[in-house]
Amino acid sequence: MIGIYRALLLASFQSASQYRVTMFLYLLFSIIRPVIFLAAWTAVAAARGGTVGGFSAADFAMYYAIVTLVAHLVTSWNAYEFEFEVQHGRLSPKLLRPMHPLHQWIAENLVWKAFTLPVMLPVIVAIAVTFNARFTAEPWQVMLFVPSLLLGAAIQFLWNWIVATAAFWTTRVNAVTTLSDRLGFMFAGLVAPLALLPEPLHTIAYALPFASMIGIPAEILRGGLTPSDVLARLALQGVWLVLCFAGYQAVWRLGLRQYSAVGA
Amino acid sequence: MRRYLRLFMLFIGVEAQYELQYRANLVANVLQQAMVIVTSVAAVLILFSYTDSLNGWSIAQMLVLLGVYYVVQGMIDLIFRPSVERLMEQVRLGTLDYALLKPINSQFIVTLRHMRLIQLANVALGLVIAVAGVVRLGEGLGALDVLAFIVALATGFVLVYCLLLVIATLSFWFVRVENLLVIYGAFVDAARFPVDIYPGWLRVTLSSVIPIGLAVTIPAQAIAGRLAPESLALMLAAAVAAWLFSGWFWRRGLRSYTGASA
Repeated sequence: MIGIYRALLLASFQSASQYRVTMFLYLLFSIIRPVIFLAAWTAVAAARGGTVGGFSAADFAMYYAIVTLVAHLVTSWNAYEFEFEVQHGRLSPKLLRPMHPLHQWIAENLVWKAFTLPVMLPVIVAIAVTFNARFTAEPWQVMLFVPSLLLGAAIQFLWNWIVATAAFWTTRVNAVTTLSDRLGFMFAGLVAPLALLPEPLHTIAYALPFASMIGIPAEILRGGLTPSDVLARLALQGVWLVLCFAGYQAVWRLGLRQYSAVGA
Repeated sequence: MRRYLRLFMLFIGVEAQYELQYRANLVANVLQQAMVIVTSVAAVLILFSYTDSLNGWSIAQMLVLLGVYYVVQGMIDLIFRPSVERLMEQVRLGTLDYALLKPINSQFIVTLRHMRLIQLANVALGLVIAVAGVVRLGEGLGALDVLAFIVALATGFVLVYCLLLVIATLSFWFVRVENLLVIYGAFVDAARFPVDIYPGWLRVTLSSVIPIGLAVTIPAQAIAGRLAPESLALMLAAAVAAWLFSGWFWRRGLRSYTGASA
């Protein structure tokens, strides 16, 4: 397994090195969107004379700097190409290899993160500084953030694959992906910190997997949660991981039976 | 002029025939755009559940702005972007020769030939939101406000058109100009809020190099009754300058085109 991963990582590294400029430009999307909502919430805080539901402008700055980082580390894009792979029969050679194609996608994702993080980190620090962010997390919160982040990444990865396997049944995966993306936009903690979502959106957010992907790791690192709150959220993430894993295995098995390798 | 108008109608007809071949796609696309717009409105409502005014913009004014954002974005994706994307490909493949050989102004045929008519749905949905905002504003719109709105909207289109034309023209010298479109695309998102809420670097970018912020904020200000006449005059002047420059730049670029296939 280690040998396989070494080969996969090397191959992904080589292909990633070819498209550096385009790759870094796509980072702009990950940076600008949180800044948009940070600016909006800063304006709301100013209109209310300083704070919104316990968030000051400095707290918003810290929160959105963290969201940028978490969203970047958690998000995987591979699933978006899956429709193409299925429709053009490109999936077939991958299925013939003596390993699950998932491993290749994991390797590509890891390489992409390693490549882009050195660029993202200074940008995030710059955003935090320009908006006068205040870092309030305590050491134990930073420590628990790490497992939460890993859980978030795993949930996001598997969820995207569940959505992408729609390609086995329909040629219009786009509609399904857009629905998932927009629910994520609303409920992952980007439009607003989860704590500020009004009811019933607040409850819905925790009942959907999207909060477990970005919002929960971000609110843990921002600080301010009690230990029992943090543990409850980690448990929720654990539940979603199990559900997504089971869901992925089920749709993958059913989908493969459906797959007829167009164009092969 | 009449000849150009007739040709333009012909382009629309061809694109409509193409689009109508795939009707289920059409429905799916409209649904997707509706999802995008509904969630965007929801985001604005969430912000306004905590305040009555965002940097001086009321919720009704903000809805107008969001509507205008989708109208502008829809119009640009409807007509300018498809043509410009095609142009870059044609330069690379050398098939631009065929467009240039036609007995018609080259800039006209290259920038207006291709359309994505499906984007009309975006424009229509944007109009619905904008009208809802106007109704909530309560006060009647004066003829002067409407006139200012139309002028500002048209000027905004000209500004963005010029930017895209300049980017496209760069493809005569550089191969990977699509990258510049990626940058443009990333900044478009920021136009969903008035430019005045952003920190300096972003506000300046959205009002100059990538004028999409102006193209949305100024028309919305006109309807919201908070437009300073000077800003409209300044925007008009900028549009004239951008129009002259991009036209000159296009002709300049054309001279360095050698045709890859020849």
